[in-house]
Amino acid sequence: MKELNPLLHSQLRLAVMSILMNVEEADFVYLKEKTESTAGNLSVQLDKLSNAGYIDVEKGFVGKKPRTVCRVTEAGRQAFIEYVDALREYIG
Amino acid sequence: MEDRKLNEKESLELIATMISRTKERYVGDGNILLMWGYLVVAVSAAVWMMLALTRDYEWNWLWFLIPVIGCPTTVVMAKKQKRDSGVTTYSDKITSMLWTVAGVSEIVLILFCLGFLFIGSVDCWSAMLIYTLIVMSFAEIVQWMVVKERSFAVGGFIGLIAGMVTLCCVVGGIPLDARWFMPMFIISFAAMMIIPGHILNYKSKHDERA
Repeated sequence: MKELNPLLHSQLRLAVMSILMNVEEADFVYLKEKTESTAGNLSVQLDKLSNAGYIDVEKGFVGKKPRTVCRVTEAGRQAFIEYVDALREYIG
Repeated sequence: MEDRKLNEKESLELIATMISRTKERYVGDGNILLMWGYLVVAVSAAVWMMLALTRDYEWNWLWFLIPVIGCPTTVVMAKKQKRDSGVTTYSDKITSMLWTVAGVSEIVLILFCLGFLFIGSVDCWSAMLIYTLIVMSFAEIVQWMVVKERSFAVGGFIGLIAGMVTLCCVVGGIPLDARWFMPMFIISFAAMMIIPGHILNYKSKHDERA
């Protein structure tokens, strides 16, 4: 039986990846609203996903307001698919 | 939501919940569509009125107001729309590419028509009217397939029929008399853009309240 990827087997990171797998890109505010998380916690988890190469994080500005946009990478997409396959095996 | 470990069943439930939350989004507001719709209708009505009053065909240059006003306004509105929604879905991307291809091909055709006029002294502007009606109506029908909003299909088919009538007239040598052609053109754009635009806005406001 495949081992579950520990990076994805956590509530908030899995929620973020599930959202990003279904959209082209999403900004920080959208992710925070959909995952009902705090800004600090979300920021930490995005850094972890980004360091693992699962998402691209693009920081920019819209006028004077900062805007962070996230996209899933090919490595992230592959890891998510493998994670779901592993979950299916566990559940049977 | 916290950073806690999940069991396998909870993981699957969470994935399903997040997928359904990304779908809790209206198809977008209809403001860009409305801008184009009202712009085309206003310019068409202005050209029609000036042609009827003056019989001077130079007023046809007013048609250029459509790309001159519409293109930069679309860029600004699209940026604002993207910023406000916070997310870009795959259907947003398809829609954006679809209208970009339709718009760019219209601009290329304008350049061809200008080239034919200035270099060859050939007036082929009727090609522009046929192309606009047929390509825009096809784009509407594809948009209906992507966002499943029925008013796009209705408007698209009305535009397509108007485009086919125009094509048959031009090929058959029947003059496009402003008295019947301009109302048909205006009604087609109202059906293709103004009515779906208002329906989208109504639905997006209704979704926000729900």
